[in-house]
Amino acid sequence: MSSGYKPDILWSPHHADRYVICDTELSLYRIGPAGSSETKAGALPLSEETAATLLAINSDTPYMKCVAWYPKQEPECLLAVGQANGRVVLTSLGQSHNSKSVPAEKVRLSGDVDSGLVVTKPLYELGQNDACLSLCWLPRDHQKLLLAGMHRNLAIFDLRNTSQKTFVNTKAIQGVTVDPHFQDRVASFFEGQVAIWDLRKFEKPVFTLTEQSKPLTKVAWCRTRMGLLATLTRDSNIIRLYDMQHTPMPFGDEVEPTIIERSVQPCSESIISSFAWHPSAQNRMVVVSPNRVMNDFTVFERISLAWSSTTALMWACGRHLYECAEDAGQGVAATEKDIATKMRERAQLRYGHDTMQVWRNHMLAGGDDPQLRSLWYTLHYILHCSYTENVEQKQQSNKQSLIYSGIKNIVKSSSGTTETRHCWSGSDRQTDVPRYHSEERSLALQLCGWISRGPDIDVEPFLKSLEQEGERERAAAVALFNLDIRRAIQILNKGASAEKGDLNLTVVAMALSGYTDEKNSLWREMCSSLRLQLKKPYLCIMFAFLTSEPGAYDAVLYESRVAVRDRVAFACMFLNDAQLPRYIDKLTNEMKEAGNLEGILLTGLTKDGVDLMESYVDRTGDVQTASFCMLKGSPGEVLKDPRVQCWIENYRNLLDAWRFWHKRAEFDIHRSKLDPSSKPLAQVFVSCNFCGKSISYSCSAMPHQGRGFSQYGVSGSPTKSKVTSCPGCRKPLPRCALCLMNMGTPVSSCPGTGKADEKADLTRDKKLAQFNNWFTWCHNCRHGGHAGHMLSWFRDHSECPVSACTCKCMQLDTTGNLVPSDSV
Amino acid sequence: MFVARSIAADHKDLIHDVSYDFHGRRMATCSSDQSMKVWDKGGNAEWNCTASWKTHSGSVWRVTWAHPEFGQVLASCSFDRTAIVWEEIVGESNDKQRGQSHWIKRTTLVDSRTSVTDVKFAPKHMGLMLTTCSADGVVRIYEAPDVMNLSQWSLQHEISSKLSCSCISWNPSSSRAHAPMIAVGSDDSNVTYGGKVQIYEYNEVTRKYAKAETLMTVTDAVHDIAFAPNLGRSFHVLAIATKDVRIFKLVPLRKDSSSSAPTKFEVQVLAQFDSHNSQVWRVSWNITSTLLASSGDDGCVRLWKANYMDNWKCTGILKGDGSPVSGQPGALSGILGSATAQSALNGNCPMKCAVMSKPRPRKEKPRGGILP
Repeated sequence: MSSGYKPDILWSPHHADRYVICDTELSLYRIGPAGSSETKAGALPLSEETAATLLAINSDTPYMKCVAWYPKQEPECLLAVGQANGRVVLTSLGQSHNSKSVPAEKVRLSGDVDSGLVVTKPLYELGQNDACLSLCWLPRDHQKLLLAGMHRNLAIFDLRNTSQKTFVNTKAIQGVTVDPHFQDRVASFFEGQVAIWDLRKFEKPVFTLTEQSKPLTKVAWCRTRMGLLATLTRDSNIIRLYDMQHTPMPFGDEVEPTIIERSVQPCSESIISSFAWHPSAQNRMVVVSPNRVMNDFTVFERISLAWSSTTALMWACGRHLYECAEDAGQGVAATEKDIATKMRERAQLRYGHDTMQVWRNHMLAGGDDPQLRSLWYTLHYILHCSYTENVEQKQQSNKQSLIYSGIKNIVKSSSGTTETRHCWSGSDRQTDVPRYHSEERSLALQLCGWISRGPDIDVEPFLKSLEQEGERERAAAVALFNLDIRRAIQILNKGASAEKGDLNLTVVAMALSGYTDEKNSLWREMCSSLRLQLKKPYLCIMFAFLTSEPGAYDAVLYESRVAVRDRVAFACMFLNDAQLPRYIDKLTNEMKEAGNLEGILLTGLTKDGVDLMESYVDRTGDVQTASFCMLKGSPGEVLKDPRVQCWIENYRNLLDAWRFWHKRAEFDIHRSKLDPSSKPLAQVFVSCNFCGKSISYSCSAMPHQGRGFSQYGVSGSPTKSKVTSCPGCRKPLPRCALCLMNMGTPVSSCPGTGKADEKADLTRDKKLAQFNNWFTWCHNCRHGGHAGHMLSWFRDHSECPVSACTCKCMQLDTTGNLVPSDSV
Repeated sequence: MFVARSIAADHKDLIHDVSYDFHGRRMATCSSDQSMKVWDKGGNAEWNCTASWKTHSGSVWRVTWAHPEFGQVLASCSFDRTAIVWEEIVGESNDKQRGQSHWIKRTTLVDSRTSVTDVKFAPKHMGLMLTTCSADGVVRIYEAPDVMNLSQWSLQHEISSKLSCSCISWNPSSSRAHAPMIAVGSDDSNVTYGGKVQIYEYNEVTRKYAKAETLMTVTDAVHDIAFAPNLGRSFHVLAIATKDVRIFKLVPLRKDSSSSAPTKFEVQVLAQFDSHNSQVWRVSWNITSTLLASSGDDGCVRLWKANYMDNWKCTGILKGDGSPVSGQPGALSGILGSATAQSALNGNCPMKCAVMSKPRPRKEKPRGGILP
């Protein structure tokens, strides 16, 4: 505001909806919601929700250098104006206070009671050529005015006694402003530097802020927040904010204030001329540009944020908290879901737990991920092969481990490969396509799922199941690779005639039927060029197979849109012993690098497989699939890999964080079947009060004792009849605090507290029948009893059931009060 | 799909930090009003404030939970140069019945001569360890040798980073292959002082923390730093809030176990976003480190997600007051995910700020929604 006539803005100290813009004249505006009936046609939009209305204009005071609003309620709209000629004038705006009484000091100052509207008599004159650069009222003492003059002086004047003043010599004399929250703190500036003053020790600034490259034009304290100072430099579109963490202490405070610097850009690119804080609305300000465009704007606080374990986002903005919780809506496409959400959903669907129909696990995972589908089918075939192998030849244990070691190792161990040339079935014409056979190759085909176990290679069941699932192109390709053109054509025709059939399939079938093995035929030429235009990968490789030279099947083998499973099966049939391992090696490395789960077919559950899974986990974070997959491995081997252990630990940790404790327990059971070393040891022993021995029956020498008794002809099992006594010394066990029976006696049903409760208890009893008899006790007061009795007691009480014991047993453990978020 | 709603926090000044516990059922907030609040999630998913007490004699910068296996333990740090460990106790009074819990001060760590800017518990597998960093550039690592006695903490390590520290983050990896590692960020704004993120690694042989890496490309003031949950991955990911959001990948290079030199890393920049248009204040990872949230001076919270190619994209923007970003009225859910929307979100989003013409709603009510 000091140079030129750039508009400045001032908020009324008492009317939250009024402010003044001053450049060559003073204009009073009222701010209101946009579009409301109050705002008239001439309203200026400030933002999407607010607009301003012009109320009054005062152009009586020329040469304005600075303006300050009178801080008292009455009279309204009284302004002190500092002029370029060194005068300070009191002036007023609007009509509202016209008839009201004029305050005493004003009477005294102006001696003009009647007119009231505009007071033009100079109050105080600084000097002949001094311009008053800034001024403000001291809020604590309304008779005092803080003035900054040209001659490097900052001065406090008392209006009651104009000769009384306090001076300080400084360069920082512009934009004097008092902190509304700490009224001894004053900010002023010079060029690019802001000085903060403490009026109680006015000799020098308390501290200065880092210097700006451009000269400052305005400095203002936030009215609603402690220690927030906003500054503006010339020709800038950025308002800088200084958040001062500084408890102002006048003496001996050596703590350097912590200042957090921020910058905001209220109206994107356009330059700001001035701004003013709203007196009451939090962090709100109006900014004005040189051409008097105004903008209503709220400064956001530094937002702190945190994710919860269940993917809810909490953030704090200013004094408010906002939680952005995940909506359980079904509308979200699976591909857009985060893996954390997916894993939680899958855990609840018991993904990985189907050990009978292993392939079904991919359905539990949602059934829409081709990689998971491939993985679980691979595991299914591996387990199936190893199971049948087990049943038939128990002694061949090395073959057993071969199954787990993946096709890569299977084809390496291949020996005794025979080469045959088959006829195209349905015709007696000899093909020139060599097909290779060996025991290992047919095992690989089994793992690919093309054939089932048996001496002869029969793909018919596989074709049938493919047809059933509507994968007609794939079925046709498999039929063709088994040199059965007729079947392939039949499959395609069926596909074309089926509901919503694809007419293209008929065309393809026709093209197939024209197959000729003559090298230079038109059919060959056209097919090899036109096949590239086929969009369906399986149709494409069919023609690639028919048109390529024997042994040169790159167009089939490197068609990445075709499932790895089918490409590998194809390779096992048509590549010779030299080509096959090379191809498989190459493909394996590709899969490992990409972390593609289809590659588990090649690597098996070996170290290679762990490598592949590592890059899958690196890519997706899906430790759930990794854990379950490795748990299917041949006992012990891959489970010892530290990486696998790490995934399992991380997955268990996730389940714990989600409070899926039941799922975690199920997972542990599942795991301990394969890895007995993961079973935790007994954690607690109950020892007898009398002999100090553990009362556990499974412990120590108990079985022998039991047998010993029966030898002496004691009827019934002693261990069963004597459960209420210590197995060591035969003394009775402690009594339950509720039923006062010795522990070990079966629980009689809890006294019903209501019908609804009884009903709930019935279902609960079914589940917890055994648990009700368990010992339980409070760690703190050592009182306890039957678990069932204790549970029902603490459903209604918080104190221990033992009389005179005031222990709040159930509240001692906060985690214990958390309920699991999964169902059993 | 996310739905934002506001919670009446009732703090008397700016809230500096918010922190969830391990299960996400409890929350702690701290504020410039020198107090802390603990919130518990009720059965109807509402947050109830169960404790509120004055903690420090200055602004409380950060608050953090210990793993629940150490009990209900909180740590806070403040401008008053201290860090405090708090424990919830069940008193004789009927506090619990009134829905209130009682927190008592177990220890005050007074070693710092300046404002303590961050406090973090070490990962659970390291035991009960607490780390603080302060404006004078010292990182202190304390240990409670007896986890049952939280009033005794011994200062185990003092790392001098030589630059004013603003934030620390532990590498959460529990893999034995990864030595304990801590990243320290500095808010020193002098760009000539070099890298503002230093990474220290524990050395089993010397039993000391040694600098393993300085991210020399981060030269501006760093306001927040966060290691991503490792989840069994073979590398580490670090998010940094500086003048932009940056995501670094640290791939440990194999080393022979006999050498006592710190691990060498191959450092890659995965992503760098300046769409906040100004300083970025906070970054936070979700539990699988597949989603990153950041907040900046544009008053917005942005969500970032990587696709399978490791390309990070903005998947959501929310204003600080929970309202949708102006110019995109209503829920964002409809347009997110489409290619055009993505490009609009990734590009320079001009800062616009909403006006609150009405007082902010006190009651919880749903606001704009965004997709994960």
